Amino acid sequence: MEFLSNLALGFSVALTPANLVFAFVGAMIGTLIGVLPGIGPIATIAMLLPLTFHLEPTAGLIMLAGIFYGAQYGGSTTAILINLPGETSSVVTTLDGHQMARNGRAGAALAAAALASFLAGCVSTALIATLAPPLARVGQSFGAPEYFSLMVLGLIAAVVLAHGSVLKAIAMIVLGLLLGLIGTDGNTGGQRFTFGLNELADGIDVATLAIGLFGISEIMANLTQRESSREPVVQKITRLWPTGEEFRRGWPAALRGTALGAVLGVLPGGGATLSAFAAYALEKRVSDRPGMFGRGAIEGVAAPEAANNAGAQSSFIPMLTLGLPGNPVMALMIGALMIHGIQPGPQIMTERPQMFWGMVASMWIGNLMLVIINLPLIGMWVQLLKVPYRFLYLAVLLFCAIGVYTVSNSPAAVVMAAIFGVAGFVFQRLSCEPAPLILGFVLGPLMEENLRRALRVSGGDPMIFVNRPISLGLLIVALVLLLIVALPAIRSGREQAFQE
Amino acid sequence: MQRTVLALMSAACVAVAGVAATSSVVAQEKYPSRTVKIIVPYAPGGATDIVARLIGEHMRQDLGQSFVVENKPGAFGIIAIEEMARAKPDGYTLMIGNVSTNAITPVLFPKKFKIDYVKDVVPVTRLVDIPEFMVATTKDFPPKNVKDVVDYAKKNPGKVRYGSVGVGSYPHYDAALFAKRAGDLDMVAIHNKAGASGVINDLVSGDAQFAFLNVASTAPMIKAGNLRPFALVNHARLPDYPDVPTMDELGYKGVGTIAWQGLFAPAGTPPEVLETLFKASVKAMQAPAVQEAFKKQNFNVVPSKSTAEAKTWLAAEMDAWKKIAAEVKIELAE
Repeated sequence: MEFLSNLALGFSVALTPANLVFAFVGAMIGTLIGVLPGIGPIATIAMLLPLTFHLEPTAGLIMLAGIFYGAQYGGSTTAILINLPGETSSVVTTLDGHQMARNGRAGAALAAAALASFLAGCVSTALIATLAPPLARVGQSFGAPEYFSLMVLGLIAAVVLAHGSVLKAIAMIVLGLLLGLIGTDGNTGGQRFTFGLNELADGIDVATLAIGLFGISEIMANLTQRESSREPVVQKITRLWPTGEEFRRGWPAALRGTALGAVLGVLPGGGATLSAFAAYALEKRVSDRPGMFGRGAIEGVAAPEAANNAGAQSSFIPMLTLGLPGNPVMALMIGALMIHGIQPGPQIMTERPQMFWGMVASMWIGNLMLVIINLPLIGMWVQLLKVPYRFLYLAVLLFCAIGVYTVSNSPAAVVMAAIFGVAGFVFQRLSCEPAPLILGFVLGPLMEENLRRALRVSGGDPMIFVNRPISLGLLIVALVLLLIVALPAIRSGREQAFQE
Repeated sequence: MQRTVLALMSAACVAVAGVAATSSVVAQEKYPSRTVKIIVPYAPGGATDIVARLIGEHMRQDLGQSFVVENKPGAFGIIAIEEMARAKPDGYTLMIGNVSTNAITPVLFPKKFKIDYVKDVVPVTRLVDIPEFMVATTKDFPPKNVKDVVDYAKKNPGKVRYGSVGVGSYPHYDAALFAKRAGDLDMVAIHNKAGASGVINDLVSGDAQFAFLNVASTAPMIKAGNLRPFALVNHARLPDYPDVPTMDELGYKGVGTIAWQGLFAPAGTPPEVLETLFKASVKAMQAPAVQEAFKKQNFNVVPSKSTAEAKTWLAAEMDAWKKIAAEVKIELAE
């Protein structure tokens, strides 16, 4: 029963009063910065980094981890209330979460997000404790061909995400892919679509794109409505808690989301984002009322929220065991460890069991604290919707600008976000969904990089994708999905569902 | 219509905020009388960022003003360098850069700068340098030392793959120069934008077979048996790896990069301000906490002897890179 003794060791570290305080402080700071759409976890952790010089490494890590998943919680709050995803992983939450808020179910959506995240936190903590060593090996067996095939699968699954027209969804994915091409070509150093601007040499930051397409365009759309028609959001609030029916629909969705998130989160690079999108797509597939998705289905909130939280937690596995940062926050954590002379690596579990298991246990404690902090706050957040829109939108715009700026301290990024705001507004008028665009944008460059790397490895032989078993398996799943979408019988059923 | 105008104005406000953020106002007094900004050309968390934060913290204690790190990643460091070079040369805007951003980029891409790097930037001091391993994967790769790699590559032309963090990066030049000096070996570069950690993953999964990477980041995988160190690029052998010979010993003098980091200022910064910064940064590197952190990372503390010596050092570095770029002709798209 190595699993139990590991966890016991972990809890003995995480439950020391000092570490409890650090977990609480981290969760609290994380929630606050997550709710303020402007200030993200990256800027906050960077600022707090020098502070961790003076802390014991485990305590520092526990606090930084608290900020990280606290911000994930907070990010979904703004996604639901004002359609502003704090991070890419909460982009999907806006789809149904914000619709629920518009239907007067903001409280239920927030509660569903909090409870689904907590459920995912509990399950994935146990999962990490039992499966960390084998999961770390999964990451190691993923070379370029496997990643490419995974990305293909992800993109095909994205088509299922579309609300209405499949054609429009594909168009948006392709547009996302094209935007993802902007920047320096990794294999030749050539500049693509940068127009000689150094600001574009590293491509567009995904936060800039997401805040523009979702946040700013939402504000623009609201401002074009009559004053009177903006208000009813408030009047319709009936009860804060999910109904029995919503619970019944929500919890299996959260469980499926957790499973997907825990597996995909292990893969470095976009794990948490991919898992949120995949969970949403899966829910829509298995649901008995796919037509409700995009109109305020609680499954569409519970599943991606569970998935991104599980994904966020399991992304610690490649970070700690392989030194591979799955996202910028993980890169910062590696920096924090570096200061203490700790290099993440396969030996970390045996060399520093206190630190490793202490952190795993503190994730669970941190998640519990987040539920305790957040559930009572739901009532307060919902009150926020009562703020007259003419005040609210100014504050949101300001925070959007700050948020985009702090990602890379770049004024050019703020200008770009404004441009994407206008683009998002146009998309909305054309009823094109921006979510598939984001997925194409995130996955496209990874897909290209891995395709070309795989072909360099094989000396130009495309058979490498079918000769590797994992890659072949992923491609077969992608093909099956494609057939399901393409089959006329299913497709007509699918379109009916949207007509009502 | 009016509402559409209002909507467009809200987007315009955000754009204006972005433009307004570029300007700043300054007043002069005894240096330093207010917060000093250190620009770092990378996102938070990397080696350069950590060095800047560690040294900034100790310079604050010494000079009594905050040294704030501002991350300006992008365009191989050009964005950070330009911002620093365009700032008022009063010592309140500095930069900590490394061999890539402050020697290789200006040598390879002088046309991409809107400033004149040689004229507009001065080094304050070299700070640290970082030893590098030539490491190889243990997955499906038979060679056991540098000589084996050469023999194996000769027998399998076009089959050996080395890892790099991008076209024209120093790990790319290191491997290409090695290939050239070992007898024009025909090998394939596998680039990974995700930096050293990405290349390490490529090595462990077998996509790449060897690479030049810094010692600290490869150490855990060496310990785990996934990677094997064949040679060291450093001033001398490392106590932790007494059996790993240096590239010099193996007859590859000048192959491999001992990556450095340095403190830079805009040209025209008053000499007395440069002197204050020079003394404070050298002192910061001697602080026990900094020394300990550097030692754990295998960083060598190598300050310049004076600001004048820093200038000759940077010029010599850039010359050396010009020669390497001429010897190994890596095709770079403009």
